[in-house]
Amino acid sequence: MAEPLLEVKGLSVDYEVGAGTFHALSEVSLELPAGHVVGIVGETGCGKSTLAHAIPRLLREPPARIRSGEVRFRGMDLLTLPKWKLPLVRGTGISMVFQEPINSLNPAFRVFDQLAEAVRIRKMRESGQAPGLVPGSEGFDYSKREGPKPADALTRPLLPSRPEARKGFSRVLHRVDFREDALDYLRLVRINDPETILDLYPHELSGGMRQRIMIAMALSEKPSLLIADEPTSALDITIQAQVLTLMKELIEEIRTSILFISHDLGVIAEMADDVGVMYAGHLVEFGPVDDVYEHPRHPYTKALLRSAPNQYKDDGPLPSLPGSVPNLSRLPSGCSFHPRCPLAKPVCSDDPGPVLEVQKGTAAGHEAACYFSEEVAGLP
Amino acid sequence: MTARSSSTGIGADANRQLSRFLAWIGQLRRGSRGLYRVLRANPLTLVGFALVVLLTLTAVALVIVPPISAAFGHPMSLTPYDPNALLPCPTVGNQSFCAQPPSLEHFFGTDRAGRDVFSRVLTALPLDLAIGFLIAGFALLTGGGLGLIAGFWDRPGTIGAAVSLTIMRITDVFLAFPSLVLALAIAASLGRGTIPSIIAILLTWWPYYVRLTRGEVLAVKHQPYVTAARAAGVAEWRILFRHVLRNIAEPLVVYFTMDVGTVLVVFSTISFIGIGVPPNVPEWGNMIQAYSDYLLIFPWVVAFPGLAIFVTVLAFSLLGDGLRDILDPRSRRALSQAETTTRAPAAAATAAGASG
Repeated sequence: MAEPLLEVKGLSVDYEVGAGTFHALSEVSLELPAGHVVGIVGETGCGKSTLAHAIPRLLREPPARIRSGEVRFRGMDLLTLPKWKLPLVRGTGISMVFQEPINSLNPAFRVFDQLAEAVRIRKMRESGQAPGLVPGSEGFDYSKREGPKPADALTRPLLPSRPEARKGFSRVLHRVDFREDALDYLRLVRINDPETILDLYPHELSGGMRQRIMIAMALSEKPSLLIADEPTSALDITIQAQVLTLMKELIEEIRTSILFISHDLGVIAEMADDVGVMYAGHLVEFGPVDDVYEHPRHPYTKALLRSAPNQYKDDGPLPSLPGSVPNLSRLPSGCSFHPRCPLAKPVCSDDPGPVLEVQKGTAAGHEAACYFSEEVAGLP
Repeated sequence: MTARSSSTGIGADANRQLSRFLAWIGQLRRGSRGLYRVLRANPLTLVGFALVVLLTLTAVALVIVPPISAAFGHPMSLTPYDPNALLPCPTVGNQSFCAQPPSLEHFFGTDRAGRDVFSRVLTALPLDLAIGFLIAGFALLTGGGLGLIAGFWDRPGTIGAAVSLTIMRITDVFLAFPSLVLALAIAASLGRGTIPSIIAILLTWWPYYVRLTRGEVLAVKHQPYVTAARAAGVAEWRILFRHVLRNIAEPLVVYFTMDVGTVLVVFSTISFIGIGVPPNVPEWGNMIQAYSDYLLIFPWVVAFPGLAIFVTVLAFSLLGDGLRDILDPRSRRALSQAETTTRAPAAAATAAGASG
């Protein structure tokens, strides 16, 4: 099997704040084959967003600190990549849609300015005028760069008279050249009257519109990998449905892989091929979404699925899990779920705890970080 | 989705240049329309704007009219009298009364040496305005630039953090002295004169901008839209100069306009103390200083330069206040909605409707 597009190995991230060290991610491993949609589900504070931000290295460091691990994207280890090269990977390589549509658009710029900037970045990279990772290219190639060379500026006449000289003159693209492209992408995300919307400021748009524009921005760069960090959580349910339908259609239209992060089991079931379940910074289960939902192999997944409300049944209060999520600065020894686990045995508190093993090429396999995953099926 | 291939023909190039030019014109029109609306909605800003325009045009005219008219053979001066000419003083008995109160002949009266105060106040205008803009502008560029660096690259353990720390500590050292006292000390050690006192204020004025800019950068740089820009692959320097700078420009520009007035006052203070401009050069602070002892005897000699400072400072303060509204897209659009029914509110309504 070919190398996966994204491979995360043993990624651990801490937050070092005054109150102590919080282990936001502990030994998270997963892989995302090209063309797949991988969902990550878990409750608030389990490290989903930290994972989403850690992959393109968008965490604030400090307070965050990547303790160990490897993030291989198209064969490059993003964690050891020099910092100045990261912008070359972001955008056309890995793009991201954020949780807060309200603040994710720059209030000082019109929609057009922001959309066109994204289109410009992609076009400059595709044409080799700016370095950067674009789908199909192998890493960065500075030798392909064709922009005007600094030495030319000294000898070039201010107003070139010959047509061929004029050609190089406007080689560097400006964002006003991309009005048509920006319009295309607004139509792609089903925005009515894109001509008008393009000239509005973000504060004049609703949350759903802004989120769609964010998606348009991310897609206009045609990334190999799109990380969607709870793209629909801030939206109300009807707009959520619109955005999800849209994203599904777009996956077909623009071939891109998605890491889809959500706390909503239903949304994940709708969107993802594979799903990873997170608990207290650990990835506790990973497998094809139908398999995980039908036959969970980790007691936490089982409990999570059981506590999801079912609109067709009304048989008393929703089942809930006793106890609460452990403090991330004082994780229990061994399996961090054992204090709340109905299957817990003494072995569960022994260090190191069970580890989810993702074997290379078994992305479709179904793994759980539990010693007793065979017994989970027997739980109520 | 149609991917438009970029044609490389010359016609397409010309088209592209044209569309860029049109977009530029559009921006200019949008900007001027915003200015017009804010001015109409806010009379105080209009007063400030009108005063600044008037002062600036007068200053420019004062500088360029004499040489140009001389070149055409008809020397012309915009001041009724030579600012340094000693006019004949009326005498009563064997006593001469040089300081005359304001009259139709001398709008602002004359001083004790018999010089026309109106001409002197007018002559001082270009110098004082230039000093205000020069010093505040220099402070904005240096202080603002240093503040941008210090605010943006402050991750502990990096070279940027060391540079930022150095900038901030030097700034603290400057801020530890009262800037006026420091400016006086520098001006005094450089010797009396216009240039030394300008240098003195230049050297002490930038730290405030460093503080202001750094604080604003720190507030903006962790906003989600900055992270979003970073996620879109925008280079760091571009994030700083486009996404961050555009969002902090508003307080900076407002502070700058108000600061032009403050610089004038400080410069006048230095002249007033007697370290700044030599007495023969007309300068507002200088004029107040020269006759401050006679405030009760010939008030007009002191009051009119004081009034000139007051009006100039007020004009820039009012303008700065209004600029805040013009620079913020939110209030600009709100004003435009209040003023006229354009297509913008209709579009916003469509937008809200479309999103369901």
